[in-house]
Amino acid sequence: MSVALEASRVTTPHDRRTTTIGAIMIGLGLFIAVVFGLVVPSWAHSQLTFDPINTAVHAPWHLGALTVETRWTDTLLGLVAVALGVEVVLRHPRRAMSRFGATSILFLLALLLWASRTSGPATVNFVDLTAVLVGSSSLAMVLIYGSLSGVLCERAGVVNIAIEGQFIAGAFLGSMIESVTNNFWLATLAGALAGAFFGWILAFLALRYMSDQIIVGVVIVTLLAALSSYLNLQVLTPYPQFNLGNLAPNLAIPLLYKIPVLGPVLFNQTGFFYFAIVLIAVISFGLFRTRWGLRVRAVGEHPKAAESVGINVVATRYRNVIMGGAVAGIGGVSFMATQGQFQPGYTSGFGYIALAALIFGRWTPSGAVVASVLFGISSYLAGNLQGYSVPIPTEILGMFPYLITIAVVAGLIGRVRPPAADGVPYQRS
Amino acid sequence: MSTESITTAPRASWWRRLYTQSPTLLAGLAIALGIVVGAFVIIFTSPVVLRSWRHIFSSGGAILSALKITVDNVGAAYRAMFTGSVISPTLLWHSLTTGHGWTTTLTPLSETLTYATPLLIASIGVGIAFQTGIFNIGANGQAQMGGIGGAAVGSMIHVPMVIHLPLTLLAGILGGVLVGLVPGLLKAYTGAHEVIVTLMFNYVVAAFLIFSVLSTALQQPGQSNDISRTIDASAQLPPLFGVASGLRVSYGIFVAAAVIVFAWWFLERSSLGFEFRVTGQNPQAARASGISPRFIIIAVFCVSGGLAGLAGTVQMQSTTHYIDGGFLIGNAGIGFTAITVALLGRNKPVGIMWGALLFAALGVGGRAMQAATGIPLDLATIIQSFVVLLVATPVMITEIFRLRNVETQRIQLATQGWGS
Amino acid sequence: MRVELREITKRFGSFTANDSISLTVEPGQIHCLLGENGAGKSTLMNVVFGLLHPDHGEILLDGEPVRFANSGEAVRRGIGMVHQHFMLVPVFSVAENVVLGFEPTKSLNRLDHDKARREIRELSERYGLDVDPDAVVETLPVGIQQRVEILKALSHDARLLILDEPTAVLTPQEIDALMGIMRSLAAAGTSILFITHKLKEVRAVADVITVIRQGRVIDSVSPETSEPDLAALMVGRSVSLTVAKDAVEVGGSSLELRDVVVRDDRGLVAVDHVSLSVREGEIVALAGVQGNGQTELAEAIAGMRHVESGQIVLGGRDITNRSPREILDEGLGHVPEDRHRDGLVLSMSISDNLVLNTPRRAPFARRGTRQLSAVADNARDLVQRFDIRTTGIDASASSLSGGNQQKVIVARELSRPLVAFMASQPTRGLDVGSIEYVHRQIVAERNAGRGVLIISSELDEVLALGDRIAVMYAGRITGVVDSSTSREDIGLLMAGAGREH
Ligand SMILES: Nc1ncnc2c1ncn2[C@@H]1O[C@H](COP(=O)(O)OP(=O)(O)O)[C@@H](O)[C@H]1O
Ligand SMILES: [Mg+2]
Repeated sequence: MSVALEASRVTTPHDRRTTTIGAIMIGLGLFIAVVFGLVVPSWAHSQLTFDPINTAVHAPWHLGALTVETRWTDTLLGLVAVALGVEVVLRHPRRAMSRFGATSILFLLALLLWASRTSGPATVNFVDLTAVLVGSSSLAMVLIYGSLSGVLCERAGVVNIAIEGQFIAGAFLGSMIESVTNNFWLATLAGALAGAFFGWILAFLALRYMSDQIIVGVVIVTLLAALSSYLNLQVLTPYPQFNLGNLAPNLAIPLLYKIPVLGPVLFNQTGFFYFAIVLIAVISFGLFRTRWGLRVRAVGEHPKAAESVGINVVATRYRNVIMGGAVAGIGGVSFMATQGQFQPGYTSGFGYIALAALIFGRWTPSGAVVASVLFGISSYLAGNLQGYSVPIPTEILGMFPYLITIAVVAGLIGRVRPPAADGVPYQRS
Repeated sequence: MSTESITTAPRASWWRRLYTQSPTLLAGLAIALGIVVGAFVIIFTSPVVLRSWRHIFSSGGAILSALKITVDNVGAAYRAMFTGSVISPTLLWHSLTTGHGWTTTLTPLSETLTYATPLLIASIGVGIAFQTGIFNIGANGQAQMGGIGGAAVGSMIHVPMVIHLPLTLLAGILGGVLVGLVPGLLKAYTGAHEVIVTLMFNYVVAAFLIFSVLSTALQQPGQSNDISRTIDASAQLPPLFGVASGLRVSYGIFVAAAVIVFAWWFLERSSLGFEFRVTGQNPQAARASGISPRFIIIAVFCVSGGLAGLAGTVQMQSTTHYIDGGFLIGNAGIGFTAITVALLGRNKPVGIMWGALLFAALGVGGRAMQAATGIPLDLATIIQSFVVLLVATPVMITEIFRLRNVETQRIQLATQGWGS
Repeated sequence: MRVELREITKRFGSFTANDSISLTVEPGQIHCLLGENGAGKSTLMNVVFGLLHPDHGEILLDGEPVRFANSGEAVRRGIGMVHQHFMLVPVFSVAENVVLGFEPTKSLNRLDHDKARREIRELSERYGLDVDPDAVVETLPVGIQQRVEILKALSHDARLLILDEPTAVLTPQEIDALMGIMRSLAAAGTSILFITHKLKEVRAVADVITVIRQGRVIDSVSPETSEPDLAALMVGRSVSLTVAKDAVEVGGSSLELRDVVVRDDRGLVAVDHVSLSVREGEIVALAGVQGNGQTELAEAIAGMRHVESGQIVLGGRDITNRSPREILDEGLGHVPEDRHRDGLVLSMSISDNLVLNTPRRAPFARRGTRQLSAVADNARDLVQRFDIRTTGIDASASSLSGGNQQKVIVARELSRPLVAFMASQPTRGLDVGSIEYVHRQIVAERNAGRGVLIISSELDEVLALGDRIAVMYAGRITGVVDSSTSREDIGLLMAGAGREH
């Protein structure tokens, strides 16, 4: 009866963009190979160590150090980047973005090796891989909480740009409660409630009054930044017993934590880290396997269609934004629990970077995790390269995570499609 | 009395005019609510007040004394805010009767105007972007870059004032345009959402600021701190009443006045401004009418960024005459305040002017309050945030005050979702 | 199921969309609701389906009063609805769309995809509506999407099926098939509420016809009622869709398309090697069911969509892939299909809307400054000449009725010097008075020697206006015929017959 339009896909803007990304990756790879690799004198060596930071506690096996020739190692790393770029140009793989992420990590790694080469300018002439990964993992964890919060909200069609604010609220309240009760469970609960409360505020203004979600989100962040700074001066400074800055203890998983490199990174972490892993699994499963997830996604894609089969759009959005707020609040507590004492402004835009991770991860929990790990590693490296006195000013290195974020949202790593109704107010007649 | 009957008629119509102009009414109510909320924040964080309430059941007079302590504390804070930003009646009386001490008397007003000047300029930039449906959260970075540009041209070139002053202003504008242009180009060509890009640029420029004031070119010679050279006198915006007056308010307010006039002409009378507004209100119709969305996006970021840059350099040229690593950082930043001012003023130049004066007074008064009562200056930002949350949600204000027949207009950005 | 509506009233703010509407559908009956666009038909159906809540009145199913809190309850009570704007989630599969809201689950709340697939296969077989349960909806053509929508409506043993303008996206042949399905469902006892504003369909399938105008029931009549009588009931006075046209000397080429290929938003070929020539002094009407590439073609001509290959020539000058600005300046008048989206800025004044695409031209601007007095003069002149009913030139465009909004656009476009004039769906949703007026203006433009291209999915309009009629199907022109061709033959072309052309 009816004939389908003959469809054939051709070069869309997406493909052209992918080619551009591939070209950038090739350029980056060549840069690594030449500047960090080939032009380095052949006598230069770099040392990688795998020792855990605290050898007293674990590390039954001493792995020692790996000394490599800087020139050829970095040349090799550069060539790997080139190969990835060539693959992207030729094959246009669907996961071009993760390859781009890998390339940027290769870049930083090569830079690190180059900076720590013997007789290089460095004061530290070895790279402790375990320390790098452990340090990155706590940043990545915070970003995971933030981007999972974003997944929950945006899959239901509400833009939660207030993640940064929920981080602040969680960190502040978490620090206070932990200091008073000496109990991280209660601190986590308080942080979750604080985050959920501000999620509710956003939901209330956005859903009931249909205020612009982005404006409300941004103002919530401003409000919480000011409020936390105010309370810090009024309460925490005169009563330092409210802000002890205890770090959460590591809970080593028996046996597993002894695995070299991986052990300290994955199995000797705080409860917050393990909870984040559980959360990733639960949200992934919930969103894509269950009835709940199908309905949430329907609400985020086509709220009218959801309404027409009896799904309560507004209630679904409320629920998800409040849950998202709670997750971000816990993220704030986890930040406090790994970075120490609350200080105004110390989340320094992590909430926004988490949003970028969400976009990078195409609004899926697993993608957001990969992106968070990439951002975590690059933030950590950029922040710690100064120790190696790389001939790039600290300030310029400090821009790195933000510049990557810009590149991500600019879709330089491929155009992504948000949930169709993301940020669009819904009015029930 | 005859005079009374004469004055009541205009007063009634004035009231009605205010009432029917719902934005003004709603803004006024939002500000009032914000001040009330601020009072509660003071009450709940001030140990003296809390302690006084703890004992209200101990004696009959305790409740009265608790009330008194509360009112005294809140009153002292807001009084300090007012006298610190507008005028102190006692000082005024003193100056009027003795003819002396005018500097002290007028300093608060002068400070408010000094702070309002760059804020006003930046807010108009943000407001023009809002009218085009673009959310420029990057005004702070753009203003910092404006300051860097102004400081560079002001301190490194040495020419007569007639050339130097405009050149320095222009350098500030260009600095802002430069920073604004990147998000503009990215949005126009890749669809990147400007909110994240401009936000990230705030961090990038803040890092660049440190880098630049530490660089040999800009750093104050003989210094190792993050502080720039001082600009030539020929590049400074001089104090309005002369250096001897001791009042900082400068010729910068004429720059601000010119910006108001320009913005009014631009939005209401210019063809480009018309195209901006058409794009802001219906981007599809704009495109169908032959308006190039790319051109408009890039142009609006140039205008908005340029104004923010101008704000930054005016700030530098009229107050410190140099920049340092803390230039427009943290509490001194104007980017977020500019957003709130633009929203409060409904993106109209004159509305923004009132908003800027008000929020400048809050900021300046907040400093005075902190000095006098120890209540942190962040209170001003808390009040501002509340005001804007309310202004962005006009229906809620009408519900709180049970207003009927007051028209509410929702603020809605044209850019929804992430679009990238 | 016997369905009775009693005095249903539904208001949107101060506007009454349904004004105490009462009607009864007997079991197994096909009940047609007939009315113009905007008469309130969809609103009424959304009330029945529980999507909207009536301000007044009640609904009885088999004699029992019901109040639905949401449409899920309506579905559970045996009501299924095919919406005018499909209620399908584009990124979901067919199965996910059909089960949404009533998902079969396994332990842990997991979706039971196998069960969903089985259910859909069964349904497909039972009603002869063949679809692949795993296909992603957005990749399906509209005709198939509608099948999904019907399956979804039937999937909960609907005893009342509401079909809201299901034929707008179908070819005449597909419409016949749909009517077959409707008849067999009715024969099996399902009650059907069928909504349309097309008279022929109503008479072919209805048992009872209820005519709605401006939110009120005008009359209930039998399908034997003649078409002109039905039309008169619908619009309130007798109408003739014929327009007086004098013979005009046809000149040279005004707008010419040569082998034009255009893709839609999804990257699929929407316009497939289309060639068409519009000469000076003639109206070419482009007919076809909505969604066969007409929209994309119009956008390409207006410069709003990339032309992949081929050439568009306006008055002898190549305008392929030029910007909308350049094309407007070359002299193309364009009335866009979606006037609220593309044609007007509703929040701006009528005078501003009348210069929307010429704000920089003299005398409306000088050296970058708008000349508001010239803009106002222009507005006063056009409001008078085009009979735009308004309280004043400073009133916002949103304050105008649909017909007057369309007049604003037509006035704006025709007041510029033109080489060719293109109008997409120029009278969609207008009242009869405005339709006549707009048609007369279009013919006047042709008489003045311009080439005119009308794109319309209303066959009546196409037949009334066109000097020649081109028919588009699946992105191709399936035939160019003259205006004396019978409706049936054009219908065949609309269904893709004659693709060998
Ligand atoms: N949600 C709504 N808010 C305000 N007005 C509406 C809404 N839905 C429909 N209308 C108005 O109600 C009238 C009837 O619309 P509708 O029922 O869709 O007409 P029909 O289906 O008969 O074409 C139209 O004038 C339309 O503009
Ligand atoms: Mg309808």
